[in-house]
Amino acid sequence: MNPIRKRRIYSILLVLLFSVSGISLILYSLNSNLDYFFTPTELKDKNIPIDKRIKVGGMVLNGSVKRASSKISFIVTDYENSITVEYEGIVPDLFKEGSGVVVLGFLDNQIVYAEEVLAKHDENYMPPNLDIKNDN
Amino acid sequence: MIIEISHFLSVLATGLFFLAGSFSLFTKNTLYISNLISRTYSHGFLLLLTSFSIYIWLAISDNFSVQYIASHSNTELPTFYKISSIWSAHEGSMFLWIVFLSLWGFFFNISVKNDQILKSKSIGVISVILVGFLLFLLVTSNPFITILPIAPLNGADINPVLQDPALAIHPPTLYLGYVGFVIPFACAISFLLIGDSNIKWELLVRKWSIAAWAFLTIGITLGSWWAYYELGWGGYWFWDPVENIALMPWLAATAFIHSLSVSIKSSHLRIWTILLSISVFSLSLFGAFIVRSGIIDSVHSFANDPDRGLYLLGFISIIVFTSIYLFIFRLPTIKESKRIKKFSKESFISINNIFFGTLIFSVMLGVTYPLIYEFLFDQKISVGAPFYNAIFIPIVVLASFFLFFSVDSKWSRKINFKFFKTPIFLSLFFSIITVIYISDRFNSNNLAILISIFAGTIIIFRYIYELLDSLLNKKYINPFSVIAHMALGLLLVSISFNSLLSTERAINIKINEYEEYKGLNIYFDDIRVLKNSNNDSIKATFFIEDAKGKQFNLSPEKRRYFTRGQITTETAIHIMPLKDIYMTIGDQLDDGSWIVNIQINYLIRFIWFSAALMAFAGIMLIFSNRRA
Repeated sequence: MNPIRKRRIYSILLVLLFSVSGISLILYSLNSNLDYFFTPTELKDKNIPIDKRIKVGGMVLNGSVKRASSKISFIVTDYENSITVEYEGIVPDLFKEGSGVVVLGFLDNQIVYAEEVLAKHDENYMPPNLDIKNDN
Repeated sequence: MIIEISHFLSVLATGLFFLAGSFSLFTKNTLYISNLISRTYSHGFLLLLTSFSIYIWLAISDNFSVQYIASHSNTELPTFYKISSIWSAHEGSMFLWIVFLSLWGFFFNISVKNDQILKSKSIGVISVILVGFLLFLLVTSNPFITILPIAPLNGADINPVLQDPALAIHPPTLYLGYVGFVIPFACAISFLLIGDSNIKWELLVRKWSIAAWAFLTIGITLGSWWAYYELGWGGYWFWDPVENIALMPWLAATAFIHSLSVSIKSSHLRIWTILLSISVFSLSLFGAFIVRSGIIDSVHSFANDPDRGLYLLGFISIIVFTSIYLFIFRLPTIKESKRIKKFSKESFISINNIFFGTLIFSVMLGVTYPLIYEFLFDQKISVGAPFYNAIFIPIVVLASFFLFFSVDSKWSRKINFKFFKTPIFLSLFFSIITVIYISDRFNSNNLAILISIFAGTIIIFRYIYELLDSLLNKKYINPFSVIAHMALGLLLVSISFNSLLSTERAINIKINEYEEYKGLNIYFDDIRVLKNSNNDSIKATFFIEDAKGKQFNLSPEKRRYFTRGQITTETAIHIMPLKDIYMTIGDQLDDGSWIVNIQINYLIRFIWFSAALMAFAGIMLIFSNRRA
């Protein structure tokens, strides 16, 4: 093979190697940093490691909000199953019983320890996956 | 009647832009035709501007027979917010977006005197884009729809979180940035259409691109600043999809203006520059599609409307695919210098362009992956800060090192490392000392943060040396480059310090009680219910004394607005040179105490300051006499 062509093939291979390894690194870090979204029902039969950050969405069960000093606990429900959430801090302005909420946190022993509590800036907001079930 | 005139002028403008576009793309280019295109375009612009001015007047004069104004404005609003209510929702903001697009074209049209062929083609391309978006506006999201025969007495009011000076100017600035990239895009496309590789389109678009970049930078910064004090979460960046879709064109634009100067100086990277100019504008359009189709859940998204999404997706795809087809078709005819010399300025810029590309790819992946994943696996996921941190920290640090070594590099010549041993050695030395001191002083061994601080300080020290050197030895330096890159160094340092030192805690406290947090002595003095003109509010007052005995008050507030019943949090912020004390108030507990969130945010003002400094460097360059 002539030397110019040889060099060209080498440089193409090098570029390919770099891009493939770069993209795999990015995809790897993407996959290890995903937050999965669950409804309480989906959460029921899943085994989630304690150190895996998850999102849980549903409605705040009426009468379930308890406050103790700066901690708040409430039950998130999809009207089939429920799960308890604990959070320390101020919940958003739109957080209230009977309306939609999404929490981001870690699951340990059937309690979600939330890092963030989100209530959408929209009165008609429904957490994803829930809009159908709530119709009846 | 006046509404119909405004409406009609927009339709007429669409017609004129259609003519300008057709003349430009389907006729032989003569001087006569060039003049015709230029004039047709200018008239189209003036009609559109008149239409928009009338629309502003309709908003100021509370003409609630316009449905859009009725649902987003209110007689009680100050004039300033009556005007800004126009861009508080989809239709009006799209209208503004289009007016700005045509405005850039207009300035380009009247200020470019040479390069007639390139100019007429570019005006044609801009006109075609304008026609597409005007049709989108008039067909799917018409802001001129009226409520007849009886107009409501009062409007529904603007969302209270949007009644804010920063937010009133944030969208226009951002839009000016987004659509400003139509100029380099149109010129690149015209360059490809004409197919004459000798045309120097790069030089022509240099200042236009930097202007758009500066607007985009300021727009993003204003948004970040607004979110910090208005939403009550603290923090300056949340990796929200809408922030990400603004970040992508910004990254691409930054890569583009660097690659552009390489093309101008040494005819390297011409192909890459064209590809980037297409990417920047496509990413801006992609952003418009994401926000306006409501396809991704975000705080910012407008109401979900599949028709709009479909139209936009279709039109944007046509633009992008035509551009790429044209690009591939003309690829063999573009002449550029091959073989970039090792360790030349071009080589450093090329490497950092690869880093920019990687960042854009990663953000794009983060934004679209949840959609793809749900489609494939029927599982909802989201991509948050951990992913972006994992990508951005190493790449930005690496890129900073390349920038550091490239400071004194020359165009098309190998850098003479021996000669520059002193500055490199000195800046590395001072940076290592700084980082060791910081690690010791704040008792931190967080490697990611310390390395990021290091990356920032080497840039700062290196440029300080450059500045001193230029003062003492009368050596020429490029002031714009020095300011912009020092700002980057400052940005890295401020972001790192912010994440190293900032803390927050929720406390619950009763009236007349004391609480201690991080050396702050907090006394809850009073809370009262206020009746304001358009809201009820509860306002607390705290007396705070810091470790040095300095005293100040903070009054966080919670408001309920009458017109929408919406509750908003008004944060209380005490600004000190190096940190903010940031306070929000939550709910009252059964025992009568209140939950209060207190944050200490370090160097957060420096983050916005450095971004503003970057934009300032760009603006300075535009008004300087430098040709490129």
